[in-house]
Order: sequence, then C-alpha cells, then structure tokens
Amino acid sequence: MIELEGSEAREAAERLVPVRPLARSEAVLPPWPTLGYRGLVIEQVAAPDKRLPRVFRLVHGDLLGPRLAHRAEDEQFETFALGMSGLVRRLGYGPEFSRRLEREVERFRKLRADLAKRRHRAPVWPKRHRCACAPLYEPHWWNVSQRQPFNNCYNYATNYRTDTFAQPGLAAGAMYAALTCAAVRPAAIADALIDSPGANNRCPDEGHLVALVIAPGWDFHWYRKGRNGYWSHKPGGTPVTNVDNSGAAIPDPRLANRGPYVNFCTFMTVMHGHIKIR
Amino acid sequence: MTWTGTVLLFSGRPDPTWAVPPSIVRSLQRIWDRAAAYPGPPPAASPLGYRGCLLKSPDLREWLAYGGAVTLRTAGEAESRRDPGRSFERTLLASAPPRAVPASLIEALEPP
Repeated sequence: MIELEGSEAREAAERLVPVRPLARSEAVLPPWPTLGYRGLVIEQVAAPDKRLPRVFRLVHGDLLGPRLAHRAEDEQFETFALGMSGLVRRLGYGPEFSRRLEREVERFRKLRADLAKRRHRAPVWPKRHRCACAPLYEPHWWNVSQRQPFNNCYNYATNYRTDTFAQPGLAAGAMYAALTCAAVRPAAIADALIDSPGANNRCPDEGHLVALVIAPGWDFHWYRKGRNGYWSHKPGGTPVTNVDNSGAAIPDPRLANRGPYVNFCTFMTVMHGHIKIR
Repeated sequence: MTWTGTVLLFSGRPDPTWAVPPSIVRSLQRIWDRAAAYPGPPPAASPLGYRGCLLKSPDLREWLAYGGAVTLRTAGEAESRRDPGRSFERTLLASAPPRAVPASLIEALEPP
C-alpha cells in the first residue's frame, strides 16, 4: 500500500479526473477471478475528490468503479506509478519488482483485449459424467508393503491414507462403543461423513459414495463406489479388491456376498477434503 | 525374540495378535518339517471373514495357514505344504489368549 497526502494526493486526483466515458467494448474486466496484476485500487481516505468515487480501480488508463467507467485525464498515471522511478519505488522491492510489474501490466492488457474480442462469453465447462467425483480404482497404489498393512476398509473407502488402521469417530473423540449400525454410523458422522440413507446406490453430485456394513458384535466394513459405478473395498490389511465373497463384481453392496457382514447400515457421502479420520 | 500369531479375521478392527509361546513354536516347526509339499496353489480365502492365521518369526518369516495348506513366505519367495486336519492352523489358533479368537471360529474349522 502506498499513501499519498496533501499536494501529492491532490495532484494525483487531478491526473485521474474522468474525461471520457468508456465504450462497452472498452470497459472489460474478466468476469472471473484471475491471478497476477489486476490494476491499481485507489481509495480516497480523507478529503475525497468529489469527481471520483471513494474506491475505484485504475487499469491501463481506465477508471472503473461505482458509476465510473471512464478514461483518466492522464492515461500514463499507472505507468508513472509502477515504473522504476515511480510511486512503487517506495515499497522498497527493488527494480526487478518494477520490471515484473511492467510485464504483468502487459499480460493483463492482452487478457482484457482477448476478452473484449470474445464479447464476455462465459467459459464453457466440460460436461461432467456421473461418478466423475469418485476416486479411481487403483489397487496397485494401495497394495504395497508401505501402505497395505497399515490402512483398512475405512481408509480405503474414504480414500484417506493415515497408516493407522483408522477407526470411525476416533479423530473426533467420538469413537464407536459397540459394533452395531447405531454406534458406528454416528461415529463416522463425527468424522464429517454425510449420512445418505436415501442415496439408493446413486452417485452424489459432489464427493463420493461409501457404504457401511456390520458383522454384529464383531466388526464393521466399508465399501466405496468407483468412477465406473462399481464398488471396491479393502478387507482389513489385505489387498484392495473389486469382487465380493463369491468372486463377483459389486454393482450394489446391498446385494453383494458380504460373508459375516450381514447388516447393511447405510450409504454415506465423503466430501473430499472435509473429513478427518485417524 | 518374540514369535507372534495373528488371526486374519477383521476388516475395520485390527486383527488379534499375540505372542506365541516357545513350546507352541516348536510344535508348529515339527508340523512344518514333516509336512509334504502342497500340490498346486494353496486355497485362497474369501475377502471378508476368516482368512487364516499367521505365524511370524523374529526374522520376519511368515507362515500362513488356511484351508489345509501352510505357506511359508520369505523375502520374495513362497513355499506351500500340506496341513492335514488343519493341525498347524488349529494349534496356532489354540495358542491365542482367551477371547482373542472366537471359540465358534475354531470349532467351525472343518478338515478339508
């Protein structure tokens, strides 16, 4: 931030007086956030000049702000401010910073010119496929000696490697106290998994689907739905697999041969980056 | 120098693991030494539920017993031998501390 006071501030205001309204094709800024230089933001803190709003932006000689889309009296003010002998020198970043700023100003000028040619067309995002958010089926990544023995079904289903044989609720201090659906489900919710009992084997719009099953009084187990719509799992410290106890692919864990895990509890949704397990 | 036993049973919880007494280790070694080679690949367990039991030596050799076969795994190599009557498997499971392995599991082990 550079502060101007007194006569210096008044001189700047004179040089920035709006002189000509910009044409629609000229007053172009990217409609989405961009990285790098985006202009000078000028704020009038004391004794504001009435011809200018309290806060506005100066970019390539254009003044943009509330009820303001005009050419500045001095189109070179920005160049003056950012040049090696200009106001930016007061920041003490050295001449290389000014040279980089000059390149950034030109890069942003080109971006604005390109946008003006494209007439503000909104970006076209690629069409998403169902289950596009689901993790890849990549057994070779999990089935190695550094990871396989130390990560269980909960790690794999949530796609979250901890190397601690993660237990539902442990990270939140709310670990299950019994091996029942009623105990393990809230423990997983405490880890920020989202209970989705009505998912009915359909992929969520965001995140990916997992399924909790219970061998009553014995153990819990988790499956995860993959990008291809089929399910896979990691039984304890053994390798990741995409088949059930009958050796069949798993289109729906409710119908799979699950051995002793006879209770299907619920589907849940894992929002990537939201959960915390240990 | 502790020999450990593990029953491969759970998915979410850690599998039960215990120290195997030297007398049991000697019994298991005798069973292994007398066993004949297993013809073909050893039986594979289903992914969920009981998947056999494991004896691990201090020098990290592992014997996996399941379904009438015992397989010795060392660095990059494996050798399988017969386990008639599942005696290796039963002996190892019986050495677990009380309640570490469900009694119903040991009772359910039928000879192949």
